[in-house]
Amino acid sequence: MRIKNAARAAGIAAFLSMASHAAQVQPPEDVLGELIERNSSDYLTQSEQNIMMMPDNPALWTADEGKDLFYEERGPNNKSLETCDLGKGPGVVEGVYVELPRYFEDTGRVMDLESRLVYCMTSIQGFSPEDPEVKTRHGSSSDMMKLQTFIASRSSGLPWNPPMDHPLEKAMRDAGEVMFYRRAGTSDFSCATCHTNTSKRIRASVLPNINEPHEWTKAISWPAFRVGQQNVRSSTHRIRGCYWQMRQPQIIPGSDAAIALMSYWTDAARGQPAILPDKKR
Amino acid sequence: MTRNRKMPLLALIAGASLCAAPSLFAAERPSSPVAAYTAMSPEELADYLIFEMEGFDLDAPTQEGGTARDRLEQDRTQKVCSAIARSGAALDRPTAAKISALAEESIQLPEGGIALGDWKKGEQIARSGYGYRMGHRMDDHSGEPPGGNCYACHQLDPNETAHGTVGPSLAGYGRLRGTSDAMLKHTYQIIYNAHLFFPCTTMPRFGHNGTLTQEQIRDVMAYLLDPESPVNQETEQTAQAD
Repeated sequence: MRIKNAARAAGIAAFLSMASHAAQVQPPEDVLGELIERNSSDYLTQSEQNIMMMPDNPALWTADEGKDLFYEERGPNNKSLETCDLGKGPGVVEGVYVELPRYFEDTGRVMDLESRLVYCMTSIQGFSPEDPEVKTRHGSSSDMMKLQTFIASRSSGLPWNPPMDHPLEKAMRDAGEVMFYRRAGTSDFSCATCHTNTSKRIRASVLPNINEPHEWTKAISWPAFRVGQQNVRSSTHRIRGCYWQMRQPQIIPGSDAAIALMSYWTDAARGQPAILPDKKR
Repeated sequence: MTRNRKMPLLALIAGASLCAAPSLFAAERPSSPVAAYTAMSPEELADYLIFEMEGFDLDAPTQEGGTARDRLEQDRTQKVCSAIARSGAALDRPTAAKISALAEESIQLPEGGIALGDWKKGEQIARSGYGYRMGHRMDDHSGEPPGGNCYACHQLDPNETAHGTVGPSLAGYGRLRGTSDAMLKHTYQIIYNAHLFFPCTTMPRFGHNGTLTQEQIRDVMAYLLDPESPVNQETEQTAQAD
């Protein structure tokens, strides 16, 4: 435990020194604390325990492991991800996550973090889509979650700002909005059924309202450590769970449908600071 | 130029993906047809992404006996109510009347009148969120019957604290309303298809969609209306309250 704490202190020091270069990057517990100070929200404050435990978020370790993976020479091509362009040029990780999904010239697609990582791992490092490094998407021990958590943590405290310059970025966001409100299935549910109310509960959980950006920023701040599942989870995992609960079929990760939905939900939090990595129930 | 340079790679990846359908990987997908996407309305594009671009696992079987594709198709009520919610506008009178009329047409009253079932069974149905979930973990109705999940949104038994608040509280439902034939019919209609009285409500159409059987509806009605049901008891006094 002592060794862990020492390592974490070093991690925080590294985090803060990095923060001094990109002035706005902030530890997630500070971002959440300031949000709660500025806004009254039953959603943001529903778990006092989770708020208290933010500095000891296991996802911070996952981010550290992801950092090592990002710079390690791996795969059949023995390359690191330092030539991977996540939107701000090869190897840039600071601030890229809050500007995703975005249009990428080299693929001609709007891509989210996960689909972009798949692209870089297959095209740069030479992994096959069937290799576990690429194929395993869920769980704290997966490469995908480690890499996503590292990259996302380098946007903590920065305002969500997905670009809307390319016509495809706007088209995807607008289609995503339709999907968000699209009722279907045996229970007539849509995302909006639960996420357009303020302070309303499903069973004992207060749900975030997409029309309240200060709530919505926490809602979309993935990766997050889910206390009930003892794992770091991604946006893709959240969307899978929502469609399952809505009694609608499984959305395909990396499909344009999934990316459209993420374009809309990220746009809905525009201007609010990201809490990364977050901790959720 | 840029586009031509990456063609061999994309072609190679696309070729590889033929072995493992349906493709789950973004990098295997061809680029989005920019012109096609931007020429569509948001509604058209959403449907295109869902049904034509493999946005969902469309061929998966469902518990009700169709495929995922069937489950994703919208009926008139779903389509109209989705568009109104997205617009943020209030429901206009003619549309409300149309949705309500569709609901009225859909409701089948039980032959021989409406009678209350067993409130204990009704309580289980109200508490159970099992049923009709599909995808990575499919609910198996042969192992456990689907529930109504009433507690997700409603308060019922006043002593149950883990209840949702998206729907109105139904604590004391029968105690406050009585059990006249008119009230029984009214309650049955709401569970069967609540759009009759509340057009574009978020409440699922349990009867219309076939997710609760007529017997289950009667049991849930007993839980709501039976004077013996916990729903109709006064809140237990706590030690502090004495």
